[in-house]
Amino acid sequence: MSLVDLSNVVKRFGALTVLDEASLNVEQGEIVAIIGRSGSGKSTLLRCINGLEAIQAGRIVVDGTVVNEPGTDLRALRQRVGIVFQSFNLFPHLSVERNITLAPRVVKHVPNAQARELARVALRKVGLEDKIDAWPDQLSGGQQQRVAIARSLAMSPHLMLFDEITSALDPELVGEVLKVLEEMAREGMTMMLVTHEMGFARRVAHRVVFMHHGKVWEQGPAAQTLAKPNTPELETFLSAVLH
Amino acid sequence: MIRDLSYIDVLYLIAAMRWTLALTVIAFLGGGIVGIVIALLRTANWPPLRWLGALYVHGVQGTPLLAWLFVFFFGLSIFGITVSPWIAAAAAYSIYAGAFLGEIWRGCLQAIAKTQWEAGASLGLSTAQQLRYVIVPQAVRIAIPPTVGFLVQLIKNTSLAAVIGFVELTREGQLTTATTFRPFTVYLIVAALYFALCFPLTRWSRRLEGRLHVAR
Repeated sequence: MSLVDLSNVVKRFGALTVLDEASLNVEQGEIVAIIGRSGSGKSTLLRCINGLEAIQAGRIVVDGTVVNEPGTDLRALRQRVGIVFQSFNLFPHLSVERNITLAPRVVKHVPNAQARELARVALRKVGLEDKIDAWPDQLSGGQQQRVAIARSLAMSPHLMLFDEITSALDPELVGEVLKVLEEMAREGMTMMLVTHEMGFARRVAHRVVFMHHGKVWEQGPAAQTLAKPNTPELETFLSAVLH
Repeated sequence: MIRDLSYIDVLYLIAAMRWTLALTVIAFLGGGIVGIVIALLRTANWPPLRWLGALYVHGVQGTPLLAWLFVFFFGLSIFGITVSPWIAAAAAYSIYAGAFLGEIWRGCLQAIAKTQWEAGASLGLSTAQQLRYVIVPQAVRIAIPPTVGFLVQLIKNTSLAAVIGFVELTREGQLTTATTFRPFTVYLIVAALYFALCFPLTRWSRRLEGRLHVAR
C-alpha cells in the first residue's frame, strides 16, 4: 500500500477551486517533487496531507490513516508527518534546543535530558550542532530553515513535506538547505517537496509531479519528464522557468 | 467645624490609599479572570462563542462603570438581596475590567502570526498546548505595556467606589476638604498620592518591555 494515497481530492476556498479532483500516490522511500505555477494548488495539496486544510471531496490516506474523516486523530498523524514551511516558522521565544524539543517533551513526554540529546542528534543531521543554545533571531535564514528541518526530524517522521522551503532564502543560502535534503534522501526518507529548484528536482527526486489548474496534470520519472514533457502545459511551464 | 490641615490629615489620606489599593487588586484579579475567558471566547473557532464575547465587550464598554456599581449595590436590594459594598465592588469592577482586559488580550493573541499556530499543530500539539507553549508566551510580552496602562486607569477609577460607601483616597480627600476647607492643598496631595502609585507602575512596565525584548 502506498504511504500517501490521494484520490479525487477537491479543495475549495469559497468560490475558488484550488484542487480539482487531484489524485496522487507516493510510495515508501520515494522522493516526489511537485512543480507548477503559483496558484496551481501545489502548496494546498501538501497542506491537505497533514490535515492543515480540510477538503470538500475525495479521500486522503496517509500512513494508514484516513485524513479527511471527522474522527481522525490528526495529532497522532502529524507526529508521523513532518512539514517544513517557506517562512521557517520557528518559535521566536524559544532557543534552538527548545524549538526542537518542545513537541518531543510535550507530545511524546520525552524526559528533558533525553530531549536535549534528541536535539543534538537532529542538529547534527543539519550541520548545526554548535547552535543548540542559540536563538532563532541570531541565525541566518538558511540556518533557521535547517533548524526547522531538525525540529521536524526530532519527531522521527515517516514522511516529510517541504513547502517551497528555499523560496524565502537569499540565493547563496539555498545550497546549504538543499544539501540537508540530499542527505535525508540518501537516508531513505520519504519526501514530498513543492519546489522551484528544477535542477534539484532533476538530481534528487525520483518522480516529478506537475500540477496545473488544481489537477495532477502530468507525472513521471524526474529526469525524463523534465527533459521530454508530454503535455504542452508542462512544456510551456518548463520553458518559462528554465529561461 | 473648620480646623487646620495638619500632618494627621495627610496620614489619613495615605491610610485611605489602602482601600484604593485593595479595590485595584480585587478589580484586577476579577477582571483578569473574566478577561481571560473573554479573550478566549473572542478568538474561538466557533462563531457563536465569538459573538457571545463580542456582545459582552460591547455591552460593558458601552455602559458606565458607575451604573454597574449602582446595579449591584442598590439595584439588587430592590429584590431583597443585600449586597455588601465589597461584593458589589468586586462584581462591578470585575465585569468592567474584564471587558477591557479581554479586548487587550484578544488583540495580543491575534497579533501572533497564524503560522505559529500552524507550526505547533504540525508538530502534533493540541490546541491547548499550542496556546500554552507557543502563543501565550509570545502574546504575554506584547500584552504587558497595554495591560499596565489599563491598570493605571483602574487605580484612578477606583475612586468611583466612593458612591457605594468606600472611603478610598478621593473620598477621604473630599472629607478632609470638608473639615479643613483647603481644597487646593488637599487635592494636590491626593493627586500626588495617585501619582506615587501610578508612576512606578509605568516605569516598571517600560523596564519589563525592554527586558522581555519581543523576539524572545
